[in-house]
Amino acid sequence: MAGLEVKNISKTFHIQARPTEGVLSHVISAIEGRGNTWELRVLNDISFSCKPGEVFGIIGSNGCGKSTLLRIIAGIYRQDKGIVHAPGRVVYLSGFNIGLQSKLTMRENIYLVGSIMGLRKREVHRYFDDIVRFSGLKDFLDTKIYQFSSGMVARLGFSSIISFVNHKKPDVVLLDEVLGAGGDAEFKREALAKMEEFMRSGAAVIMVSHDMKPIQKYCSRVILLRDGKIAAEGRPEEVIEEYEGTAA
Amino acid sequence: MREILRLSFSLAKTSFKLRNEGSYLGIMWYLLGPLALFFIILFVKGAAFPGTSAPSYPIYLLIGITGFNFFRQSITTSIQAINMNAGFIRSINNISLETFVLATILESVFSHIFEIALVAAFMIYFGVPVLGILLYPLSFLVFFPFILGAGFFCAAVGVYTTDLDNIWMIASQLLFFVTPVFYTIEPGTMLHTVNLFNPVFYFVSISRTLLIDRTFPPLWMFGVILGMGALACFVGIKIFEAKKRELAEKV
Repeated sequence: MAGLEVKNISKTFHIQARPTEGVLSHVISAIEGRGNTWELRVLNDISFSCKPGEVFGIIGSNGCGKSTLLRIIAGIYRQDKGIVHAPGRVVYLSGFNIGLQSKLTMRENIYLVGSIMGLRKREVHRYFDDIVRFSGLKDFLDTKIYQFSSGMVARLGFSSIISFVNHKKPDVVLLDEVLGAGGDAEFKREALAKMEEFMRSGAAVIMVSHDMKPIQKYCSRVILLRDGKIAAEGRPEEVIEEYEGTAA
Repeated sequence: MREILRLSFSLAKTSFKLRNEGSYLGIMWYLLGPLALFFIILFVKGAAFPGTSAPSYPIYLLIGITGFNFFRQSITTSIQAINMNAGFIRSINNISLETFVLATILESVFSHIFEIALVAAFMIYFGVPVLGILLYPLSFLVFFPFILGAGFFCAAVGVYTTDLDNIWMIASQLLFFVTPVFYTIEPGTMLHTVNLFNPVFYFVSISRTLLIDRTFPPLWMFGVILGMGALACFVGIKIFEAKKRELAEKV
């Protein structure tokens, strides 16, 4: 199967300069010739490709358009120009606590998250025992999660999401600052191993991170985004050096 | 479509459950609001205008209050349907935005089911044959397309302006007094003419005819409310679909 292909993507946001102003202020601004919105070109003619089984990195400083690019690939945002060719299932991951409700029990949360991730009840049921086992929270199945520590919530979130994403057998995986999980050192190790296994599943993986260690460790190619453009492209060490050189 | 309905139902069920979580009275809160209004109006009307009521006035009133309440609640929650789920919308790529609008409307339907149970209980108490309640789904079904269309329209517009919340708050108050919720209107009056353009008027009128009179309402009423529903669906869903991809960037 062909991998992910991103061709000439451009995106401009129309930022409301003073979104809380009322009608009167808008009228006065118009009379004075001041605009109420300004344009922010976040992405400008971005192209790259990622083969199945490849891990591709995107780095850059805050606000350079990394998450916007992933959301465009995921179909959440609409690009102004360009084409995204993403064959098969695309999964966008920007966190592991998505959908968790503090007033529901762990059991109810697993079914809820499964439902949000597009699984039927019987499919969730199939993964239920594995999720509980991996999270290590068997004794808290019927406890409402507002009574959980943040580490326990992280365990539950990661275990649920990773199982459900695995079930979907995605062809393209978009990881937006989500490598690893919270919790204690042991769980972090187990979670990282699970993520590595997931990344080796044959999907085209796009990884966005501010942490250069995973970028260096897992990615075969990296692009550096700066001012909406690709400022550098190549092997991780070269691009990271370019990024850290300019950032310093 | 099945996936959207399945997830909408699941989200509505969860939200309904969470609203009752930690509450001593639980689902009773859904009933206490309309019930309080019912007793206040019944008391005020009885004291101010004794002997001027419609037959089975308490049931007439309760159908009006619960019908209007369903309409008001559906639209109020639809306005916030997208904004309230901004986190989901920007983090998950496999959920259709329609899901959130349908979930909020379904949640209003769940509450309405309890209100209808209350109407049935009062029908028994006031000696109105309760079997008429079996015909209620008919009036609900002909009104539902209007709720759906209006809900989608409000969900899309609500993302662009927070004014819609305030506009709706005032408009729904006005509509409450225009709609014959607690009074009767005669054909030929100006108020009746105004109400011919009011979808809630058809909903409560059809419901009352089916439940209290146990007769079939005039067919033209079904035609008008279904026509309004078709128009609302056409406009509402078309606008929502046109703006759908843009909404995630606005929330």
